[in-house]
Amino acid sequence: MIFCSDTPHLPEVAVTILSTNMAAPRVCVPGERLFSTADCEAGPGTYVHHGYIYSCLAGYMHKRKTEGKELSIVEVIRQKEDAVPRIGSIVTAKVTSVSGRMCKCAITCVERTTLREPFRGLIRKEDVRATEKDRVEMYKCFRPGDIVLARVLSLGDANCYLLSTAENELGVVLALSEAGAQMVPVSWCDMQCPKTGSKEFRKVAKVQLQQE
Amino acid sequence: MAGLEIISDQGYRIDGRRSSELRKVCARMGVFTQADGSAYIEQGNTKALATVYGPHEVRKGRGKIQHDRAVVNCQFSMATFSTGERKSRPKGDRRSQEMSMHLRQTFEAVIVTELFPRSQIDIYVQILQADGGNYCACVNAATLAVIDAGIPMKDYVCACTAGFIQDSPLLDISYVEESAGAPFLTVAMMPKSEQIVLLEMNSRLHADNMEKVLDLATQGCKDVFAVLDRHVRDHVSESHALMTAS
Repeated sequence: MIFCSDTPHLPEVAVTILSTNMAAPRVCVPGERLFSTADCEAGPGTYVHHGYIYSCLAGYMHKRKTEGKELSIVEVIRQKEDAVPRIGSIVTAKVTSVSGRMCKCAITCVERTTLREPFRGLIRKEDVRATEKDRVEMYKCFRPGDIVLARVLSLGDANCYLLSTAENELGVVLALSEAGAQMVPVSWCDMQCPKTGSKEFRKVAKVQLQQE
Repeated sequence: MAGLEIISDQGYRIDGRRSSELRKVCARMGVFTQADGSAYIEQGNTKALATVYGPHEVRKGRGKIQHDRAVVNCQFSMATFSTGERKSRPKGDRRSQEMSMHLRQTFEAVIVTELFPRSQIDIYVQILQADGGNYCACVNAATLAVIDAGIPMKDYVCACTAGFIQDSPLLDISYVEESAGAPFLTVAMMPKSEQIVLLEMNSRLHADNMEKVLDLATQGCKDVFAVLDRHVRDHVSESHALMTAS
């Protein structure tokens, strides 16, 4: 599983910085002036004030060149990265309760970062799949304990993030059967228990392997 | 305070410092693994411990949620054994509440709260030993803890006191000097941009002397910054070395 690794994940850039034997990377502290906005563009970990880019984290400075852009992006990277679910980001969540109208879950990972504490998420009935929205039956899509991949639709109300699984790649990725065995997906809406051979309904995700 | 000389004829203070010298600053970052960020600081005999949690969802009191930024929640407490006379309650009295409020104002000004809408950042500070400049030690410890937690800040905040005793400005005053009854300023500032985040004066000071005292406090903040900055840089490269080794 790519999305829910237990080890705290390092951003790739940090890994490249750490693994390549370059000259010692520059250590930055909050409030340190890095570049003029004429030379670079401000990336994560920085802010712009009076035409200059300043660091707002303690970490290592990194310059990144993107295609189609003249200026390279300056960012400051820490070893530990913390994440907050944003609109459009893919999250890994564990289903905590299912009702006829919606399914509640605990968000444990955002993109590739494991959260230190879970956020509450909510999948509404109409956001479960893209087709035949009105014929969705929640109990045939999720069960408590399932591990689900979902996309953040909106920040929702004060209590929950609104999640959606209305994509082929999203839905249940790990589920235990009634017998307690980890089930294998057999179709878009079925998973089979290897122990008893019984089929259970789920909104199955077509997990895509990410190329490294 | 008859009989007690705050400044000797030779220009030394009770603890042997000159008028514009800071007390010794020792700091450590990342003292707790449980918290998102933590730091411990000693400024002379004043010792403070700060922990930072968050940004996380807003807990208790959903009315506090800000839809465009994070709320900063600060709690100041003093250990019961921190003062000469044992304190009956460590937190919640009027002075602690005021201190918490000042800390909140200070950190709302420097943390880039717009990056975390609808979240909360908790800063807990405890004084383990009080010997003057409690607010300063708290601010300096909390700055380190916020940096350790990786919460974006516009700049460091460094705090320092400066008093005006026996017609001369004194930097970083201790408890004895504080209780001499002379006026003193508490300044919290962003040392690089020289912006003052908090300024507090506890009694009357002649306007002519104000500038001298403020200049001294500003210099003190910069000195504190130099020490904190060194600690942060050491801490970052140390953890980097640990990571490359593993």
